[in-house]
Amino acid sequence: MATNQTVAEPGAGTACMAGPAPAIHAASRHGCAALEVVDLTRDYRTGFRRRRQRGIAGVSFTVAPGCIFGLLGHNGAGKTTTINCILDLVHARAGRVRIFGREHTDPAARAAIGYLPERPYFFEHLSGRELLRFYADLLHIRRPEREKRIDEVLAVVKLESAAAVRLRKYSKGMLQRIGLAQALLGDPDLLILDEPMSGLDPVGRRQVRELLQGLRDRGKTVILSSHIVPDIEMLADEVAILRQGHLVAQHRMADLNRTTIYEVQLVAPRGAGSGILEDHIVRRHGEVLHVQTAGVADLARLLARCTEQQWKVLGVGTHRSALEELFVDQAEQGRGS
Amino acid sequence: MSTLGTLAVGTFRETVRDRLFYLVGMFGFVMLASTAVLSPLTIGAQSKIMTDVGLAAMSAFGLLVVVLVGSNMIRKEVDKGTIVTILAKPVGRRQYLLGKFLGLNLTLAAMLALMGLLFFLVLTVAPGAFSVHYLGAIYMTLLELVIINAVVVLFSTCASAPLSAVATLGVFLVGHLSQSIRDFGHLQGSPLQQRIFDAVYFLVPNLEVFNIRGAVVHGDLIPPGQYLLATVYCLGYAGLLVLLAGAVFRGKGLR
Repeated sequence: MATNQTVAEPGAGTACMAGPAPAIHAASRHGCAALEVVDLTRDYRTGFRRRRQRGIAGVSFTVAPGCIFGLLGHNGAGKTTTINCILDLVHARAGRVRIFGREHTDPAARAAIGYLPERPYFFEHLSGRELLRFYADLLHIRRPEREKRIDEVLAVVKLESAAAVRLRKYSKGMLQRIGLAQALLGDPDLLILDEPMSGLDPVGRRQVRELLQGLRDRGKTVILSSHIVPDIEMLADEVAILRQGHLVAQHRMADLNRTTIYEVQLVAPRGAGSGILEDHIVRRHGEVLHVQTAGVADLARLLARCTEQQWKVLGVGTHRSALEELFVDQAEQGRGS
Repeated sequence: MSTLGTLAVGTFRETVRDRLFYLVGMFGFVMLASTAVLSPLTIGAQSKIMTDVGLAAMSAFGLLVVVLVGSNMIRKEVDKGTIVTILAKPVGRRQYLLGKFLGLNLTLAAMLALMGLLFFLVLTVAPGAFSVHYLGAIYMTLLELVIINAVVVLFSTCASAPLSAVATLGVFLVGHLSQSIRDFGHLQGSPLQQRIFDAVYFLVPNLEVFNIRGAVVHGDLIPPGQYLLATVYCLGYAGLLVLLAGAVFRGKGLR
């Protein structure tokens, strides 16, 4: 199976000492991998005869601290299984997982993790605030600090007004938000979010995007699992593509963005399109030109020229996303194999 | 609060807010109240009937709560996925299981305390019926329910909720008949049958150890050593079952 990897090999640069629990934060400061997954394999037993079915096979990747790492794949590609193995919710048949240098089976390693499952379900008899108190107690957050922290995360997910409402009255989007709140509660160094945009309206999606970008800016590491290419494209620094339980490609988004085709709509006088512009014009309607550039560098040069020549820019969009192309290619290869 | 305390209080709160708990509690109260209605029909044995029915009702409704709530308690969280956000925190699987077990014990203790209070209130209408030894019978009922709770926790780690409930009820019945079963085996004469019935006797908890209801109703004195032995037996047996449940639960995939 073709595997396209351009980033660090699994296990590289991860020689960290697994000391006592506070060492997790120290580990993230000292360049230890936030997450190291090596040859992870998980089988399922299905049917009456308990036949073995492959969930994921030989999945390996390393996530550096302070980045957003996208796990991209179709439904059933193995994203959730990978996450479940990382969190030791299901046991891997083979492979190794280290979280900031600690074995993932060690409950103390999970103190550094905030996790939002794909379809979060919580105790319906509790209110939003009571639920967060319950999780804060599991994280051993002391009482005076606890209420302050709960208020903070409720404000982040915009649920202050629903804090006293029982969860059985929450909508799907509100459950997603309270799920995000419990994941953020312990101010974790590593966030694992399985389809976090699911169930959110456009405003909510934007808020989550801004929140994740803010967390990255604060040095937090985010693993973002999704089957929606634009979500990964907008947020991730690195992306791994899973197909039928195998990791088939891993790239830095900066590398992919170099080959993304952007389309700029601008108004320029007739005969003005010379030099780099002339070769890139794909359509012309009077003075309105549709110009395509490959990569961010070319796009920046074109926009600079527009400013210089005082051409009016009507809009900039992605004509063909390199990630989308890659994703579709991988899917087609999967159908062919 | 410690992790165990948080999980236990969380479970207690969940069961207290569960409508089923209130329904069973209410039914228990109605049963106790009915003894007051029935007792005038039993000339000369009014207080004994009230005490006997009251103590038996407490045991029966406690059993109902353990079986109905206990068989669903862990299975529901696994099936609905509530458990994943808990175990994604620094919580071990054994801790989780022990927390749930302690939480349900807390519920049982609260329920028995409440029913006991009502029981003693009902007894005040029958002069001379009150005896401090009834507290001992209620305590023994709690110990019995703790063992049944451990049984249902073990079953619910490896079976569906209905199967756990049925198997637990089976253990309850056999647990009360274990001595008779052993005697029956010895009467049969075949060495193989004797061994089988002996194995059942030693594997299944002997719940008759905790049944002092008849004795206290008839005014027999229960020596303190019997309470102590019953407590040690309960803690040892329930502890073993919870350990076993932890070992089973450790190997389970939760998604």
